[in-house]
This record gives sequence, C-alpha cells and structure tokens, in this order.
Amino acid sequence: MDYSALIKDYLDDANGHLNVFDSALLSLEKGGYKKDTLINILGALHTLKGNSGMMGFESLKTYIHHVEEILEKVDDNSIELGQALDTLLDSANVLRNALQWIGKNPTFTPDLMENILALQKKLEGSGDASEKQQVDLLSYLGTKTDTIKVDFKRLDSLLNLVGELVIFKTRLNQIETQAKGAINDKSFAKDLNEGLELMGKTISELQEGIMKARMLPVSYVFNKFPRMIRDLAKSQGKEIQLIFEGEDTELDKTVIDELEEPLLHIIRNAIDHGIEVSRDRVNKGKNQKGTIVLSAAQESNYVIIKVKDDGRGIDFDTVRRAGIDKGLIKSEDSLDKDNILSLIFSAGFTTKQEATDVSGRGIGLDVVNKNISKLNGHVIVDSIHEKGTTFTLKLPLNLAIIPALMAETGGEVYAIPMSAVDESIKVREEDIHIINNHEVIRFRERVIPVVRLAEFFGLSPSPVIARDKVPKQSHLFGAASKDEIASPLARNDKKGKQKKFYLVIVSKAEKRIAIAVDRLRGQQEIVIKPLDDTFGKSYGIAGASILGDGRIVLIIDVMSFYEKKEVLAGV
Amino acid sequence: MSKISLPPSGLAEDFLGEIREEQAEIQLVTFALGEQYGVPISQIQEIIRVGNITMVPNSPSYMEGVINLRGRVLPVLNLRKRLRLQAKDLGKMSRIIVTEVNNKTIGLLVDSVSHVIKVPPDFVEAAPEEVLEIDTDYITGVGKLKDRLVILLDLEKLLRREKIEIKE
Repeated sequence: MDYSALIKDYLDDANGHLNVFDSALLSLEKGGYKKDTLINILGALHTLKGNSGMMGFESLKTYIHHVEEILEKVDDNSIELGQALDTLLDSANVLRNALQWIGKNPTFTPDLMENILALQKKLEGSGDASEKQQVDLLSYLGTKTDTIKVDFKRLDSLLNLVGELVIFKTRLNQIETQAKGAINDKSFAKDLNEGLELMGKTISELQEGIMKARMLPVSYVFNKFPRMIRDLAKSQGKEIQLIFEGEDTELDKTVIDELEEPLLHIIRNAIDHGIEVSRDRVNKGKNQKGTIVLSAAQESNYVIIKVKDDGRGIDFDTVRRAGIDKGLIKSEDSLDKDNILSLIFSAGFTTKQEATDVSGRGIGLDVVNKNISKLNGHVIVDSIHEKGTTFTLKLPLNLAIIPALMAETGGEVYAIPMSAVDESIKVREEDIHIINNHEVIRFRERVIPVVRLAEFFGLSPSPVIARDKVPKQSHLFGAASKDEIASPLARNDKKGKQKKFYLVIVSKAEKRIAIAVDRLRGQQEIVIKPLDDTFGKSYGIAGASILGDGRIVLIIDVMSFYEKKEVLAGV
Repeated sequence: MSKISLPPSGLAEDFLGEIREEQAEIQLVTFALGEQYGVPISQIQEIIRVGNITMVPNSPSYMEGVINLRGRVLPVLNLRKRLRLQAKDLGKMSRIIVTEVNNKTIGLLVDSVSHVIKVPPDFVEAAPEEVLEIDTDYITGVGKLKDRLVILLDLEKLLRREKIEIKE
C-alpha cells in the first residue's frame, strides 16, 4: 500500500476516534462524571495515539499522551472534571486542527510542542485557562471520508444480479444471431448490433466494478500469522523471521476467507516439520534464523500465493515409507518425486510417529487440498531436501464467474474450468495406446493417462444409443470385461474408425490427465451456481451454470479425476 | 377467527362442530402415479410443465436431473423411481411439482396433476399396517374419496430419507 493511501486510511480512522472523543466530552459536560464514558474516551485516544506513532507523527503522539494523563487524573479525582473539561475540549480542537493540516498536506508533520507545554503546565496545576485554541469553523466538520462500510451480503447479491445480467446478455446475443436472417433492413440490424454491443460493454464494466468492490488486499490474511508464528517458534525453541511480499495483491473476499485455513496448515507445517531448531541450523551451516516467506502476486486471472521456508525440506524416503505403512502405495511401486509429494495431501497422512499439539495428526494438508480445489484452484508443492519447501497456491481472482471450456460428450455439454486446462488436442482412436490395461496418450514426450468423460460419467459413448442400455461402469475402473479392456477400438463402429475426437489436457501439480470428449464448443464465461446436495454430492461435478439459451451445463470437478487412483496408476 | 353468533337454540354443540371443521379443513394437491397421491398445498410452490432436464451423472437413479427455474438450478426427483414404482416414459401430461420443504426447493416429476381438493380433517386414515413396511413411513395415511383412494405423502420424511440412504 502506498503512503498516500495509508494517510487516507489513517485520517478516516483518526476522525472517527476524534468524533468519539468529542461527543463523549460533550456528554461528560452535560451529565457529569461517568466511568464508562471516560473509558470510552481513553480507548479512542489510545488507538489514535498508536496510529499516530505508527505514521511518524511523534508530536501528535506525545500530545495525546498528555491528554490521556489529564483524563487519568480526572479518573482518580486529582483534577476536578469541571476544571479539566475546558482543557480537554480544547485539546480536541488542537487534534482536529492537526489532522486537518495533515489532510491538506500529507507530508506535513505537525509540531505541537507549544500545546504540549501548555498541557504540561495544566497538569502541574498552573497555566491560564484563557489561552483558547483558535479553531477554523470548518474543521468541526472534520475531513470528508471516502470510504463507507457495506454489508458484504449486499455486494454478494449485487454480483448475483450481474451474473444474471451476463446470462441475459448472452441470450440476447444469441437471439440477435438468429434474427439476423429475418431482418431485411440493414441499418436496423446494425443499430441492434451496436446497441447490444454497447450494453455488453457496460455490463462488463459493471461486473468488473462490483468485483473490484469485493476485493481485499491479501495482507488481510497475512497479518493474522506473525503472532502465531512467533508463539509457535518460541514454544519449539526456533527462531523464525517472517517476510511478506506483495501483500497488497487483492483478492475477492470469499477467496480471502477460504484462504485462512489452508495457509494456517501450511505455515504450521513449515514451523513444525520444516524449520530446524537454531543449533541444528548452525551445524548445517545455515543462518541461525529460519525464514518463512509469504508472497502473493497476480498472474492474469489468477493469484499466486507462495509459502516458502528454508527448512529441512521433505524427505522423500520418509514420505515413501509412511505411504507404504499407510497402505497408500505398494513397496514395489516406482514413484517419481511428484508422485511421492502428492502423498502428503492424502487424508490422515503423517510421517510423525506421535502427534504433537501442533501437527502430526495427519489432518492438514488434505484440508488444504480440499479447500483450494473448492475454490477452483490448485496446490503445487516443491521441495529440495535440506534446502526448504515451497507451497504454491494458484487461485482464481474471483469465484462467481469463471472462464470455462465447453466440451460435448455423449450428447451432453459440460464446462471445464479453464484454470485446470493446459491445452486441448485433436486425436484419432489409433493415437490412444494401452499400457498396463489403461488408456494413455503420448504427448510432448510424456505419457498421459486418458479418461473418457462419457465413461467417467456413465454416459453412452454416442448420443444415438439410449442411455439406459450402456453399463454404468467404465472399463478404466474395473467391473468391465477383459475383452473390452483389451480392445478399445471395438467400441468404434465401422464409420467411426477414423473418427477424430478431442483430448482436454488438465494438470494438477504437474500431473496431467487427458479428458476425452467428442467435441469442443469454445470458451465462455460462466456463472457458477451450486448444486443442491440433498441427494448427495454428485461425484465429478463441481456445480452448474445456466447458459444464454436457458440450458443448464454442469461444471466438471477436475480434481475428482485425480482421486480415482486407477487413473493415475496407468503411468 | 370469524365472528360467531349464537344459534337460536343457544346450545354450544350446535355450532362448535362447524367451527372445528372450518379450521381444520386441508387442501391437497392430488397427482397420479398409477394411484392417486396427495400432498398438502402449503408445501407446493408451483406446478410446471416438463422442459429441458439436464441429467446429473453419478447421482442416485431416482434423481432425474436439474432444471432451470427462472435462473435457479433446481433438482428434480423422479417420484416413480423414488417410490419404487414401475418406470413410465414422460408423456404430455407429465408435470414437475415444485415443492418447498424445510427451506429446500425440490421438483417432483409425476405422471399428471389431478386436482386441488378440500378435505375434512377426518378424511385421512392411518394406512393399514399390512402395507406400512419400514420403508414406507413417508406415507401419512390413506384418504377415501367417493370413488377412489388418495395416498398422502409426508414430503419432509420422503426428502429427508434421501440423505441417509446416500450415506449408507
């Protein structure tokens, strides 16, 4: 946050406190001494004092300190309220003037030395009450505030309305395309087109404006951690310094809210498992102090949040062994670094023999994964042994409206969030190979498992065949006959031999899966609507969206493809 | 309560019965699934024609799909499948009854909607025990009309059970 924005925040806040001070003084004047009111004033002044000190207005801070002293004397009856009131009311004016100067010229640092001396005199009981502070009448109005507090629910319902508007806009555009043929009058068609375009532009701006209104700087979450890190580090005999980077990056409030818990778990892990005690660090030739860097940066429509520590890193052998113990993997499985790292996100996974009160119960990272996927984001973990671990969270800037790739399969259209999509390719059946009974594709020097969306969802492979006649099981996940596994081509009818279809390649933490669909229908912004879960959560579906023509498309939960172990076992 | 004027007889029993009847009269929406079924009109938001239903994969078989109800995504239950009746294709008379129970809005797909009937409170009789198995406690009772029976459904129970079944 730059300085002028900070000054603005400070002034808004200070004027608020000053108003509390003023009105409390007036009520003291009217109603006489009241403990509550006094405490109220002291609270307001104390905050104002602290903020002024932080902003570097030392003189203001000292002045407020003296005002506080007077109030305390009033409280313990060493000064009579009536005597002090004039001085106090005066002091409010002094403060108000000082704030006004700062408001006019933010680089100005008020010098209240004279006023401080006067107050000191008052405290000592001497001094002349007639030295009235001259006040510009306008200053009673205070500086005008530029911020208002709004209930977030109101912004939320506004965004929902805009979401509807986007849907209607798409609908109108479709009608226009359909109507084009019917309209003979060229200039009329042009007018219609222009009008729609202008409306579309305004809707986009409106949408953007409301999105911006919902944004908060990520420092909002970051600032919750310094204290926790300090306390945890202390209790474990570790020295840790915390560094923030890019904390003024802004995110939608709903994302900010969902971010707290994942970050908590990641940071807790970094302290508990990552950073070593000071002695060990010195022995390893590292800086005695461990470092945790919390950083945020915006990349196009995403925000990248990183938690980086310079601790001992993840020991792959330990993780592997723990994975075998828990029965998550088999001892003969050959796993690469990424496969092993993905184990730490499994529910109940821990390498610790005994749980500490900080971590080790094996809850934590699976929560991280779940929360972040819920936001349509990803978690990527990277670790170098003895050098440290970095968790990278990639999150969409906002939740309600996302770009999605529309894909058709089995006669149904599904939306795949673009956040997960790497690329899409056109292939033929013969490009698909079978390894170890699983379908894969060789692409860019990689072997990527193929999941046929129609089978994953138990749809018929071709819209011609009635849905009911197709067995629900997919051959990738057991249950189907051996013959079918051996010959995926058998599913193609005579005409379909050369049939081309599309693979949408999605990735999560460097792991790729190719989702096979019949056709691609382009990219589109969609408004996410939750699906009612009265009948249980539908596996593989993240939500629904309504298209311009009123049809509902379901949004694919890409993460669920990774939960099917059989899919990944193919590589 | 409406104004009560004493009957010429001055005897309470001459009009108390009338009041009771007035207060407790129930309105039912009846619909057909082979037999006639009924639910209280207070639980029904509207009745719509069957339009485009989007099938939701990996959902229970009785979940017909979701529909767009004026910008809302509404789940639709196939009541025939839910009640384990024989499946029947959609027809011209098929309707979706939009119900609101416990703040949840859910559509019920039925063969056809028959009438709204007003019935006295003693219309409903507990269903004979022989037909009430453990699985049918969402049947409140059976009502007798002149020429036929109406099976009353307890939507709260019917819809609550869904969740439990899935967990199992």
